[in-house]
Amino acid sequence: MKSIYIGVDVGSVSTNVVAIDRDVNVLFKTYIRTNGQPIDSVKEGIRQLKESLGDVEVLGVGTTGSGRQLAGAILGADVIKNEITAHATATIHFVPDVRTIFEIGGQDSKIIIIKDQMVVDFAMNTVCAAGTGSFLDHQAERLKIPIEQFGDLALSAKNSVRIAGRCTVFAESDMIAKQQFGFSKAEIIRGLCDALVRNYLNNVGRGKNLEPPYVFQGGVAANRGIKAAFERELKSEIIVPEHFNVMGAIGSAILAKDYIEKNKVKTNFRGFDAADIEFTTSSFECKGCSNRCEVVRVAMEGKVIAMWGDRCGKWTNSL
Amino acid sequence: MKVSFPYMGSAIVYKKLFEFLEHEVIMPPKPTQKTMDLGVKYSPEFACIPLKMVMGTYLEAIERGAKVLVTSGGHGPCRAGFYGDTHRNILKSLGYDDVELIIFDAPQDNWKAFWQNVQKVRNGLPWHKIINRMYTLYRFVQKLDELEKMVQKIRPYEINKGQTTQVWNEIQEKFDKIKTRKELYEVYEECKKMLLSIPTKEVDEKDRIRVGIVGEIYVVMESSINFGIEEILGNLGVEVERSLYLFEWINDNLVPWVLRPRRFKEIIKKGQRYIKILIGGHAVETVGHIVDFKERGFDGIVHLMPFACLPELVTQSLIPKISKELDIPILSLPIDEQTGKANMLTRIEAFIDLLRHRKKGKTKEVFVDELQQHAEEERVVMV
Ligand code: SF4
Repeated sequence: MKSIYIGVDVGSVSTNVVAIDRDVNVLFKTYIRTNGQPIDSVKEGIRQLKESLGDVEVLGVGTTGSGRQLAGAILGADVIKNEITAHATATIHFVPDVRTIFEIGGQDSKIIIIKDQMVVDFAMNTVCAAGTGSFLDHQAERLKIPIEQFGDLALSAKNSVRIAGRCTVFAESDMIAKQQFGFSKAEIIRGLCDALVRNYLNNVGRGKNLEPPYVFQGGVAANRGIKAAFERELKSEIIVPEHFNVMGAIGSAILAKDYIEKNKVKTNFRGFDAADIEFTTSSFECKGCSNRCEVVRVAMEGKVIAMWGDRCGKWTNSL
Repeated sequence: MKVSFPYMGSAIVYKKLFEFLEHEVIMPPKPTQKTMDLGVKYSPEFACIPLKMVMGTYLEAIERGAKVLVTSGGHGPCRAGFYGDTHRNILKSLGYDDVELIIFDAPQDNWKAFWQNVQKVRNGLPWHKIINRMYTLYRFVQKLDELEKMVQKIRPYEINKGQTTQVWNEIQEKFDKIKTRKELYEVYEECKKMLLSIPTKEVDEKDRIRVGIVGEIYVVMESSINFGIEEILGNLGVEVERSLYLFEWINDNLVPWVLRPRRFKEIIKKGQRYIKILIGGHAVETVGHIVDFKERGFDGIVHLMPFACLPELVTQSLIPKISKELDIPILSLPIDEQTGKANMLTRIEAFIDLLRHRKKGKTKEVFVDELQQHAEEERVVMV
């Protein structure tokens, strides 16, 4: 029977589940659309894992992403970590001398700066969504090109058209204008890739010291057009790791593994039955004091198993 | 007069002020989502978040019966100087002609206007009474700030999660009831004991993480808008200190120049290393405090800025340079009505990871040590 560590990364756009063995070989990975249903997508991921690997012994579980607490409560995670630390952990494992990580996902994009295998700086996009996967999806749809062909089409263009990439609204209207001028779709897409990379480096990477080796990961790293645009802009090779779209999940699995091994403890994993158990989340406003915290409550078949959001610990500690 | 005011930080202080002046105080509610919704609805879209939140607070206070709103003004070239007039115009356009807005600008900007305002709120009380009570209030703020600073140093090491915050809430309730200077000193001693009796764990000096919080005054002082960042950091085991405390603000802005403690001048001088001219808001102070925190051995800085705040935008653009020159990590967090809590928590948590690594050296080991520490207290590590 295989012994595995599970890593789960729950973001607003996608939920990724991986299984690694003791030597960090990736035995299983899946990518599921979250669709606003994080509980269902986590269950679905676990179900697929079980189906694919058969009988396994789970030694530890880690969760990350914006839904890390929820996923952690559902699965009984051993480690719950933020996605920056998780991403960095996985990347350092696969590319030990990495200095700069570009991570572009559906909603969020990040830049992580590493020195001597240590995170020394990072940045995340805030309010602006330009430079994320969702924007690309949207443009692909508008141009009626399947997103899978987007990158290759960009590569086929001889010339690039300069697209104003400062903001998604401007980019879109500029693209429409350029289309009317008669530029080809391929040229416009290449221009869009350039604009996106420029915008990302200027906004997210502002003021950061970017040094090679560069690693590019997250869902958007599948897009060869964007990779090429990065290479043009930085005049350097860009490494896209094999498991580029599930690095966060792998990172959290590695953290769980390190934690379990170092402390020689048993996992809290609830077991694969978790996929069949009914979980419900609800929230309420606590009126215990003037903080009026919005407390989130997760119940497993009616019994509350986790609460958070309280500033004072009154609810978190009540379990 | 039925008086109210913007809610910011330890709002009991403002309440005390107007109680001492024998006004009927309409306590504004601590800002909530409702405050935000109201404020956003009735403010210009491109205004910064403090303007919107204060707008919302005013409307809620008026709803509760306030007839007079008292606030401090802003000076320098940042648009905070226009807040008062903007708020006044909005209130007027909403038909609140019977509500008066009194704005206290720094006395040295316009002595006459300042004096007229003083006469309005003085409420006809004899001067000796006012001076005596204002002195009590001055000490009241000082003592409350001292206790809050203690809270910020105890919370990261508390053994029973949440206890420090609970005690701090009790302290504020006790302070709310204080009437005289004698009572103040007694209550202060009692509260100090309460704080010192909170069981804490021993943490080695080399494992302590200290973070300074700097930025625009409203987002630094008001926890409801900054997601309670001090508590978040405290719960992550981090000691915090803000660049701004009410007591110091009073010293810097209201106490006559000659009596002011030297410290303010020092901070300004430190800030002027990077920003030479006055650009309004708290930009120079922000930078000055970053330098100061570094000199005092802090491990990192969290810089809070309202999205689109001009002075803080200038600070933010200087941050890479300052951070590099001083060799201190700085996390800049823009705060807006659209700021998501999940995103903010991720940054803060990752930033603290980063600070711990810097202190200890090795990435993975630190995670595991730290995780173990947490796990001993809670079954699962949660923010
Ligand atoms: S959860 Fe605690 S801090 Fe939050 S409102 Fe209730 S009593 Fe206050």
